Amino acid sequence: MEALFINLAEAFTGWMIRLGLNPAWAESILLLVKWIIVITIITVNIIILIWLERKISAFFQERLGPNRLGPFGIFQTVADAIKLLTKEDIVPSAADKLIFKTAPMFFIVVAVMLYTVIPMGKDMEVINLNIGLLFFISVGSLSTIALLMAGWGSNNKWSLMGAVRSVAQMVSYEIPLAFSLLGVVMITGSLNLQDIVAAQDKWWFIVLQPIAFITYFIAATAELNRGPFDMPEAEQELTGGAYTEYTGMRWALFFLAEYTNLVAVSALMATVFLGGWQGPWLPSWLWIIIKTYAVILVFFWVKWTFPRIRMDHLMSFSWKVLVPVSLGNILLTGAGIYFCRWMGWC
Amino acid sequence: MKGQGLIKGLGITLKHFFQKEITEQYPDVMPELAPRFRGCLRFQFEKCIACGICVNNCPNDVLSFETEKSDKSKKKKLLSYSIDFQYCMFCNLCVEGCPTNCLYFDHDFELSSFEREDIKMIYLRPEGLDEAEDSQAEPEEQEDKEQKQIEAMLKALQKNPQKVLSRLLEGEEDINILSELIQSDQKTAGKIAELMIKDKEKALKVARGFINKEKKNRAQQEMDGGKGGDNDV
Repeated sequence: MEALFINLAEAFTGWMIRLGLNPAWAESILLLVKWIIVITIITVNIIILIWLERKISAFFQERLGPNRLGPFGIFQTVADAIKLLTKEDIVPSAADKLIFKTAPMFFIVVAVMLYTVIPMGKDMEVINLNIGLLFFISVGSLSTIALLMAGWGSNNKWSLMGAVRSVAQMVSYEIPLAFSLLGVVMITGSLNLQDIVAAQDKWWFIVLQPIAFITYFIAATAELNRGPFDMPEAEQELTGGAYTEYTGMRWALFFLAEYTNLVAVSALMATVFLGGWQGPWLPSWLWIIIKTYAVILVFFWVKWTFPRIRMDHLMSFSWKVLVPVSLGNILLTGAGIYFCRWMGWC
Repeated sequence: MKGQGLIKGLGITLKHFFQKEITEQYPDVMPELAPRFRGCLRFQFEKCIACGICVNNCPNDVLSFETEKSDKSKKKKLLSYSIDFQYCMFCNLCVEGCPTNCLYFDHDFELSSFEREDIKMIYLRPEGLDEAEDSQAEPEEQEDKEQKQIEAMLKALQKNPQKVLSRLLEGEEDINILSELIQSDQKTAGKIAELMIKDKEKALKVARGFINKEKKNRAQQEMDGGKGGDNDV
């Protein structure tokens, strides 16, 4: 079971080479297949995830949630997806059409790109980058541009307000996000995510870097535009923020990208702080799924517990609390590493 | 410490997560209604006396009825009673005002209909109600009432005969004689009590008769006093 998917991939390339294909071509086709699989998994996963969030938020509020269509209402999201697919596609006449149309595509592409480097099991990732973590952080921060494009292109004051808010928020939270991951990088001495997972065979980094874990969690919540930091959307104030003017499938793409980002960030959190695919008994690819879903459930729990905080509080929290704390954590980690070396423990 | 509230909040939501859902699955499962829940206003035709208190009480002109003058008695005869439910605000004033409790709210709350007119409920006079009202319902009720009064009177008579009889008779001697009679004899007491309720004049006559008879009895007893003790003849 452990090497199930790796063996499948090898069998696939072997079969193509036997058909007379150049090995380089076979590798590229394999990469394409991997991408298609990733995209399929994302889309199917999002359907489950939306259902799960609706169900769980209902349970937190002692409601039942969707329960009409299919067992436990599981087909409700499928019906919603079909509805969104068949909806009229409206582009406002005063909108900047090119930017308006490319924004959702850009957002989803950026979100899917995050999956390139996440190790989904032992020796299982789309590309094994040795700067995987850096790649993840830099690509992850690109989604800000997509939101700004959507807000600007819509030519609507609510959209622009939402976009401006999201840019301010994401730029401020990008700093503690990166700094909190820096502690882990200092310990492992590598930006490769497989190396980071391998370094956690004895201790998970949540034990060695608890402060970094908490700051990363908070910053990631803000980065994902999820409650209690969902200022860019803030439907009570901004009628949907940057997404106000979007309808049908374009809007669905934003929605899809948000959940894709959620899964990606949760998977990264599981990889960096919770031991990644490492775990007893079960195959590694199952462990990463279990851990990712556990993190996602905590995100849901936080979202449906806390009220949205005010914009100025959000900013002051980032600059006055999270940035100093994460910087202090780096200092502490550095001092700890030197202390360890001095004592000869590592 | 700062942040304690956040953990507390998470704890509260987690607690609610495992609690039972309170959603009512209404069309599948009917909700449990409180005993005094005001659903649909219902009307019992037989009990109505057409007094019109409900119509006067109603703030929204929901209720209306039609009557006819009965040729047999002074009473008004109720022909139809209508409840235009679309205006009802369930204030309960009609139910509270009704002297015969013929209006009541039941637990049926599914009142929606396709047409405005469908929600209006009209109760027509049920067939056969006339004969029932004339022959049975009223006399029986009256008899019942009388019977109760007679029983009450009998009790009073047995408890304190002098006081009760003073309303009927004059002269202390007569009262004393009769009260002794009543206390010793149940039948006499019953008869007097019944007559006192039904017909006072007749009661007076009968009472006199009893007294005279008793007086004669006593006179006779005095005459042949040597012969016997207290044995009745």
